[in-house]
Amino acid sequence: MILSAENKKEIGIFCLVAGLLMLIPSLNAWGPDSGFLSMSSFQVSLWGKYLTYAILAMSLNLLWGYTGLLCLCQSLFFALGGYAMGMYLMLMIGERGAYKSPLPDFMVFLGYQELPIHWQPFYSFWFTAGAVLWVPGLVAMIFGFLAFRSRIKGVYFSILTQALTYAVCLLFFRNDFTFGGNNGFTDFKDILGASINDASTTRWLYIASALLLLITYLITSGLLASKLGKVQQAIRDSENRVLFSGYSTTSFKLVIFVLSAMIAGAAGALYVPQVGGINPSAMEAAKSLEVVVWVAVGGRGTKWGPVIGAILVNLFKSYTTQAFPDYWLIIMGGMFVCVVLFMPDGIVGIYQQIKSKIAQQRSLQTTEA
Amino acid sequence: MSELILATGDEQAALIEEIANYGDPVIAEIYEAWRTGGVYTFESDTGLQLLQFTELQEWVLVSTGEVVPLSEADADRVEKERASRSVRKSMKSIIDTLGLKAEDANVRIDSAIKMGRSQKMEFVPALEARLLVEPSKEVKQAIEEALAISLLENGDAEQKLAAVKDLTKMKSIAARGFIEKVLQAERDAARAQGPLALASANALLVIEEHVKIMEFLGSFFRGFSTGSVLLIVSFGLAITFGLMGIINMAHGEFVAIGGYTTYMVQTFFMNQWGLSSEAFGWYFVVSLPLSFLMAAGIGLLLEKTIIRFLYRRPLESLLCTWGISMVMQQGFRLIFGAANVQVNNPTWLMGNLSVGGFSMSYTRLFIMFVALLVVLLTWLLLRKTNLGLHIRAVMQNRSMASSLGIPVARVNSMTFALGCGLAALGGSVLSQIGNVGPLMGQQYIVDSFMVVVIGSVGNLLGAGISAMGIGFVDQLLQPSLGPVMGKITVFFVIILFLQWRPGGLFPTRSRSLDD
Repeated sequence: MILSAENKKEIGIFCLVAGLLMLIPSLNAWGPDSGFLSMSSFQVSLWGKYLTYAILAMSLNLLWGYTGLLCLCQSLFFALGGYAMGMYLMLMIGERGAYKSPLPDFMVFLGYQELPIHWQPFYSFWFTAGAVLWVPGLVAMIFGFLAFRSRIKGVYFSILTQALTYAVCLLFFRNDFTFGGNNGFTDFKDILGASINDASTTRWLYIASALLLLITYLITSGLLASKLGKVQQAIRDSENRVLFSGYSTTSFKLVIFVLSAMIAGAAGALYVPQVGGINPSAMEAAKSLEVVVWVAVGGRGTKWGPVIGAILVNLFKSYTTQAFPDYWLIIMGGMFVCVVLFMPDGIVGIYQQIKSKIAQQRSLQTTEA
Repeated sequence: MSELILATGDEQAALIEEIANYGDPVIAEIYEAWRTGGVYTFESDTGLQLLQFTELQEWVLVSTGEVVPLSEADADRVEKERASRSVRKSMKSIIDTLGLKAEDANVRIDSAIKMGRSQKMEFVPALEARLLVEPSKEVKQAIEEALAISLLENGDAEQKLAAVKDLTKMKSIAARGFIEKVLQAERDAARAQGPLALASANALLVIEEHVKIMEFLGSFFRGFSTGSVLLIVSFGLAITFGLMGIINMAHGEFVAIGGYTTYMVQTFFMNQWGLSSEAFGWYFVVSLPLSFLMAAGIGLLLEKTIIRFLYRRPLESLLCTWGISMVMQQGFRLIFGAANVQVNNPTWLMGNLSVGGFSMSYTRLFIMFVALLVVLLTWLLLRKTNLGLHIRAVMQNRSMASSLGIPVARVNSMTFALGCGLAALGGSVLSQIGNVGPLMGQQYIVDSFMVVVIGSVGNLLGAGISAMGIGFVDQLLQPSLGPVMGKITVFFVIILFLQWRPGGLFPTRSRSLDD
């Protein structure tokens, strides 16, 4: 690869971000116990959670920012990955649950005698690690095939994905769906033999999230540089022209949809052990919309925008829910309206926006003079 | 009345009967209070007063129902008035049968059914006596049914057989369990081939058949009314989304505005004229247009400030209106509280219309009527008025309409306001069958979008048909699959339907590439 000035700058930013990300677990492990530089385990897991959100936002950006498909079921894929991981974690509790049974507590409660067959393979961590990817991938493939085949696009695609989320969410709320009903999974104990509440486990989960974030970034930039990525952006800009040039846009869109679902699933799998539970509210339609807002705030179609958006919005959300519990929804809602109206390119685009404004002003002044 | 309670012995028994013949429901209430020891005498300055201690911890004058403020000292001087044992007993059966003499035919039917179900011998004379003087045909039927059910338990073999045959003729669903019991008793007595057993078995078959027909009619009716609700809620969306291209995620909140406006109007009427007054019945008639205007006004404001920047940017409109929906939801919570508020049905919407034994609630019928009205008025507005012409022109081609001198900005605001107003109309109607709360619109929003997509965007006829279709499919699937699985199946049916007809029911033909 030729290192042009642009590329050098990108690699520089990438290394800087990687360094910053690794600062948090290092401070937690070796930093001081108190003072400005101290970093508690709670904060590490909090930031780990934000990072999984950032990955989720990046996966949506792949679809919305670069392919022009506004997908409102991203949180569904996220939750599916989370549920797959949750099944493994539930089985790892073993006989330490409230009912001292090898079955998960909610199953004992519902009167199950033995583990349902589709739960059996989740004793294996590696099967789980695979399922985290292929379960959301499969759902995306089936739905995407049906949707893209009948040329559902634009707004209709968004509405249908929202309906899909709604339907599956209703399903998970049911008790007899063997996924814990509206309580979902909680009360995890171990992951890969290590206690989930250990400081070192928290750190490792954070590091895994950070690595996934960096890998997702590499996938995104690799994709954009490839031919697939070029076609992808061409579809965003004008699908009809791509069609007329002889490309089957259906299969391109399907590949990207499945890839994006898998990334979201992996992010969900890392989210669950760090938060300590998952329930169907994680896949409500409103959550998917929130992800869209993160991307919009950060800047859609930019490489780091979604990450910045996800982290900033969530930090802001944490702050407002504490400071103004009654008004935070109004503040957030107002913020979304403002972002859409005044910052079409998001935070990342502000610099460009200001620059073009100034240039406009200057040219006006010169013409007047 | 006061005479009665203060009288003694035989006089009391005679008076009880006499007063009961007035048939006023208040009498039952007072009797009940007296029987359980809730009536007191009080020696006041103006003479002896009869008081009743109500559930609200207030002293009420028995004769007029006025609240009497009593001081602590006075309260101590109040004496409990006890009814003697024989009086209590005769009162008990009078209270039970008093319902038969009530003014309201529905109350009479209810009490007849209740008495029949209890299968007590002592009610039979009362029922028979009432049958002779009962003017209403429906009540007569109910009493006959009650008598037959009662005889199933109490009559001799002959009477039982006659009763079973009567019930077969009446296709009485209420009697099913009782006939089963008779059949079981006959079988236990080794008379499975006896005339009574055979008649019972036959009766069960006939009733079963009848139940099936009723169930079918029931799901038909429910499907129609679910469809009507969907139709009213989604018609506004068909206009804002279908015609204008604005994905209004706040549509559900406009539905809630309708519900809350109805609530406010109701509260106003309640404070002004009281819950039981004649005027209160009119609140719903007032609240329907008012909620339309309220939401249309807010919609107009929203269009002028925010929405007008979002034409031709559907995805941005989705995000922006979602923000607006969050703000509005929290606004409702701050103003009305997070819990649902209570909206009462006006009296003229209570009860059922019963045709051939099949009953339809007035609220549901009213909703269908409103849905029909909405469709008709919208169609007239869009097809027969100047504004409608302008709306259609602007929606088809904004710039061309503008160059032809149509005031595009004004038409846009009017259209958006119309869509919001229709949503609120839906909310106002929904307040009669469901909860009014900050999230009330959210339940319908996904379904409404489906309706618009299936019905082909921008096609109001399509929206109407698809709303009805979704309502029917939903109600047909619900009995076998349950509400949740039914709903999920509907979604998958919709997705599969779009494989077959991607453009919905009535796709618009256009030469434009991006349609």
